[in-house]
Amino acid sequence: MPEAFYIYCLGEEGELSPLFDEKLIEAIEPGTKLQLIAADALAAVASVVPLADYGEEGFQARLAEPAWVAARAMRHERVLEHFASRASVIPLRFGAIYLKRARVEEMLHERAAELRSFIKRLRGKEEWGVNLFCDRAQLLEQIASLSPALREINERAAKASAGQAYLLRKKVDAQRADEARAEVRRVAGELERKLSAESDGVVRLRLRQAETAEHGDLAAKLAFLVEREGFKDFRAAAEELAAHYASAGFRLELTGPWPAYNFVAESEVR
Amino acid sequence: MTQEEFTELEQSDLSLLETLDHVLNRGLVIAGEITISVADVDLIFVGLNVMLTSVETAREVLVERNRKASGDE
Repeated sequence: MPEAFYIYCLGEEGELSPLFDEKLIEAIEPGTKLQLIAADALAAVASVVPLADYGEEGFQARLAEPAWVAARAMRHERVLEHFASRASVIPLRFGAIYLKRARVEEMLHERAAELRSFIKRLRGKEEWGVNLFCDRAQLLEQIASLSPALREINERAAKASAGQAYLLRKKVDAQRADEARAEVRRVAGELERKLSAESDGVVRLRLRQAETAEHGDLAAKLAFLVEREGFKDFRAAAEELAAHYASAGFRLELTGPWPAYNFVAESEVR
Repeated sequence: MTQEEFTELEQSDLSLLETLDHVLNRGLVIAGEITISVADVDLIFVGLNVMLTSVETAREVLVERNRKASGDE
């Protein structure tokens, strides 16, 4: 069966090579082994995959099967976590395929300087995700009781005729929604500022379609690059913010440590 | 889906979506001889959400059935 090379992550050969003397974890396809492809003192963690599933046509068809993708994405992640916790590696996204070993070596050679600078930047650091959730009902309630402008309109509505009161209440609703949106933006901004101070970089992530969890709607999603040594402080800062905003209907969720997916260039490397 | 893959999915539940978000959507693209981009990530998420929901429903049905079965004894 024709085969190709699936690439997980890149690092320094001297650092990755000894890890292959230890017990390794499962590759993306059952029954295959992880291997190292090296050039210019750099190396790629790779494994062999069947071209029928990972070739251009086959892969497009497989992508339409969530279960197929999910199982492999989880294995990709496990391989990355294994190496990221033991060495400074550049994580690659799911789906970097080379037909020939020699092409991987060429890529390492051609991109050597750039790859080395990524490896240096990521050394000793991990990615942490911070998700901000907002309980809208609780936030609206909080705003109604705190905003002087809204209190004033509400007081007028209480004294007004039925028709006028109706219009005033509609005005209250619209203004309350505006203030809620502004408050979500403000809290997200403060989160970004305060946690940036405890980290080496921040990226604002795209929100997927309306995501609702037990603790409200997802209002912001941030990724931080955090020194392993400094995580205690980062976590303490996040907990302080969480405690501070809990009564206003906000919840913070910390996820990680992740391989630093969001801190290597978004641009394509060819 | 093989039994092994099914079990893998069940174990992960919520963190699965978070993981997919990272693995599929972010990070460096090193294009080899074959360039693969997972453009329909949202669709995969939707597919998975539905699937996880059905796993959850199946589990509830089983728990309910077991509860009834033991109540009858």
